[in-house]
Amino acid sequence: MILRTLLGVLAIVLLVTGAYFGLVVSPPDAFQGDYVRIMYAHVPNAWVAYLSIATVFVTSVLYLWKRRAIYDHVAHSAAELGVLFTGLALATGMIWGKPVWGTWWTWDARLVTTAILFLIYIGYLLVRALSEDSERGAKVAAIVGIIGSLDVPVIHYSVLWFRTLHQPASIVRGDIKMAPPMLMALMTSLLAFTVLFIYLLTLRVHLQQLHTARTESLAHEV
Amino acid sequence: MPAAELAVVADGLTRRFGLVSAVRDVTLSLPRSSVLLVIGPNGAGKTTFLRLLATALKPTAGRVAVFGADLVREPDAVRRVTAFVPTGPTTYDGLTARENIEFAAAMSGTLVEPQEWLERAGLAEVAHRPVRTFSQGMKRRLTMAQAWLRKPALLLLDEPFSGLDADGLRLVDALIADVKSRDGSVILCTHEWERGKRLSDLMITLAGGRLVESTSLVSTTHVEFVTARGHR
Amino acid sequence: MNGIIRAAALARKDLLLEWRGREILTAMATFALLVLLLLGFTIGATPSTSPTMLWIALGLATMLGMPRLIYSEVEQGAFETLLLYPGSREHLFWGKSAALASLLAVLWCVLLVIAGLFFNLDIWSRLPALIGAGVLGVVGLSATGTLYAALLLHVRGRELLLPVLLLPIMLPLVLAGVRVTEAALGGNNGGMWVAVIGLFDILFLLLAPLLFEAITEET
Repeated sequence: MILRTLLGVLAIVLLVTGAYFGLVVSPPDAFQGDYVRIMYAHVPNAWVAYLSIATVFVTSVLYLWKRRAIYDHVAHSAAELGVLFTGLALATGMIWGKPVWGTWWTWDARLVTTAILFLIYIGYLLVRALSEDSERGAKVAAIVGIIGSLDVPVIHYSVLWFRTLHQPASIVRGDIKMAPPMLMALMTSLLAFTVLFIYLLTLRVHLQQLHTARTESLAHEV
Repeated sequence: MPAAELAVVADGLTRRFGLVSAVRDVTLSLPRSSVLLVIGPNGAGKTTFLRLLATALKPTAGRVAVFGADLVREPDAVRRVTAFVPTGPTTYDGLTARENIEFAAAMSGTLVEPQEWLERAGLAEVAHRPVRTFSQGMKRRLTMAQAWLRKPALLLLDEPFSGLDADGLRLVDALIADVKSRDGSVILCTHEWERGKRLSDLMITLAGGRLVESTSLVSTTHVEFVTARGHR
Repeated sequence: MNGIIRAAALARKDLLLEWRGREILTAMATFALLVLLLLGFTIGATPSTSPTMLWIALGLATMLGMPRLIYSEVEQGAFETLLLYPGSREHLFWGKSAALASLLAVLWCVLLVIAGLFFNLDIWSRLPALIGAGVLGVVGLSATGTLYAALLLHVRGRELLLPVLLLPIMLPLVLAGVRVTEAALGGNNGGMWVAVIGLFDILFLLLAPLLFEAITEET
C-alpha cells in the first residue's frame, strides 16, 4: 500500500521533471521547431503501449501455466492500460504528423502496426467482457492474449516487407538527430511513463483483486 | 469392496456456477449391474449431476471414480466406458439415420454393423432418410441407439422418457437390460418417477443440489452396498 | 490410427452436411463475387491490384461465412457431444479445420476463375502456382478460424467477435497471399513470401491443436 503510494509520487515527480525538460529546457528542433516537443509524449506513449502487450503476453503464458489468479488480473489490467496508451500514442502521433509532415496519417509499418495493436486490445477486452463464466473466460482471454501479442511483430514485418520490398514508402519518418538535452528529456519522459504504467497497473490489479474477493465471499455466504 | 467393483464412487461431489451451487456435497456408491433413479424438482441439480459424471463439467470440489478411473485425472478413461444421453437429440438433421449411426461409431472408435443398430432402434426401413424428416420419437430412438452401440459400462440417461413413443419405451427397457447384463450400471434422471421406479434398483432424491434421500427399490440385498449421506 | 478415423469422420460429416445444403458456400461465393465486382469497378484491375482484390474478397467472405459454418443450428449441443467421445480433442481440431479448408479451397478456385474473367488474368497457364498460393492461405485461415471458433464457443456475441479477433491474425496471411499470387501471375520469384506463409501455417498447425485441446478441456 505504501509502496504503491510511493510509486505514484515517483511517477508524478518524474512526469513533472520530464515535462520541464521537454517543454522548457530542451531546445527546439532545427527542422521541426517546437513541434518536436510532442515527441516527449508520443514516444513514451508508444513505448508503454508495447510494454503493455509484452506484459499481457508474459502474464497470459504464466496464467495458463500456473493458473494463479494474479496473472489473470495483471493481464487484464495491462490490456486496459494498453488500449489507453495505444490510443494516446496514435493521437499524439497524428497531432505531431499534421504540422510537421502535412498529413494526419502515413502508411508506414510502425503506425499501421500500432493501429492494429489498438484493435487487438479492443478484441481482447471484448472477449473478457462477453465471456459467460469467469474461469473459462480467463483461459480464453489468456489464449487470445498470447496469440494477439505474438501477432504484433508478425504484422509489423508483414507490413514492412509488403511495402518496402516493392516500392519505397512515400513519406519516411526520419530519425531525429538529438542534442543531449533532448535526449535527456526523452529518457526522463520514458522513465516517467514507465513508472506511471507500473503504478496504474498495481492500482488496477488491486481493484481487480478486491472485486474477486468480494465475489468469492458472496459465493460462500450462499 | 474394491473400488473398481463399484460403478460410481462419489465423495463430496460439488459443482458451483458463480455464486450458485448446482450440486452440493453428494456422496454415494453405486454397485455394478444396478440402475439408479435420480428424482427431484426442477433445478435440483439432476442434469448437472449427470453432466459431471459424463465429464462435460469438472467438479468444483469432491472426488469421483467411475469404475476406478478418477473423473478429474483420467477423464478419457471415464469417457471410454460412459455414454451420456442428454435431453436433446445428438443426431444431425442433415444426415441419414444410417450415417448418424456410422458417425457415432467412428467417433467412439467402435466397429459396428449399422443395420443391426438401426433394427434395434426400429429404424431399419428409414435408414436412408434424413433425420430432418423424422418424428421426435424416431429421433430419440436414434439418439439412444447412438449411445447403445458404444456398449457403455455406465449409461447416463437424462429424462429418457420425454418424447418417446411406444417403440421408444421398449427400446429403453432393452437398452437398460442390456447394460445390466454386461455388468454395467445405469443412472437415470426423470420426473416421471412411476416409470423410472419400475426400471430401477435404487433411488435418490436431489433437492437444491443436495442428496436428501436414498431408497432401495428392490430386495434388501442391494441396500448394504449403497452408502449415501443425506442431510447436512 | 483411431485419430485419423475420428478426424476423417468429422470432416466427412461436416462436408456432407454442407454439400447437402450448400447454402453457406453459395452465400460466401455470392458475397465474394460482389466484393470483386465492386472493387474491380471502383478501383480498377491492374497487375498489382488484382491479387489484392482477390484476397480481400476471400478474406471478407471467410469472415462472413466462418461463423455460420461453425456455429450452425444446434452446433453448441452437438459440439459438446463430440467432446464426450473418448479420444484426444486434437482429432476434432483436425477434422473441423480440414472440412473448413476444403470449403475455402473450393471458394478460392471459384474466385480465381471469376477474377480471371473480370480482370483479364491468364490463370490457366499458371494454374498450379495459383492453386498452391490458395492452398497455403486457406490452410492458415482454416486453422486459425477453427481455433478461434472453439475459443469463442461460450462467449456472447461470438458471431460478431470472431471476425474482430480473426482480422489482425489474418492480416499477415492476406498480405503474404497477395504477394505470392502476384508472383504466381507474374511468373517472378515469390520465394520469400511463400516461406512466410509456409512458416505461419506450420507454426499455427503446431500450436493450434494444443491450444484447442487446452480450451476444450472442461471447466
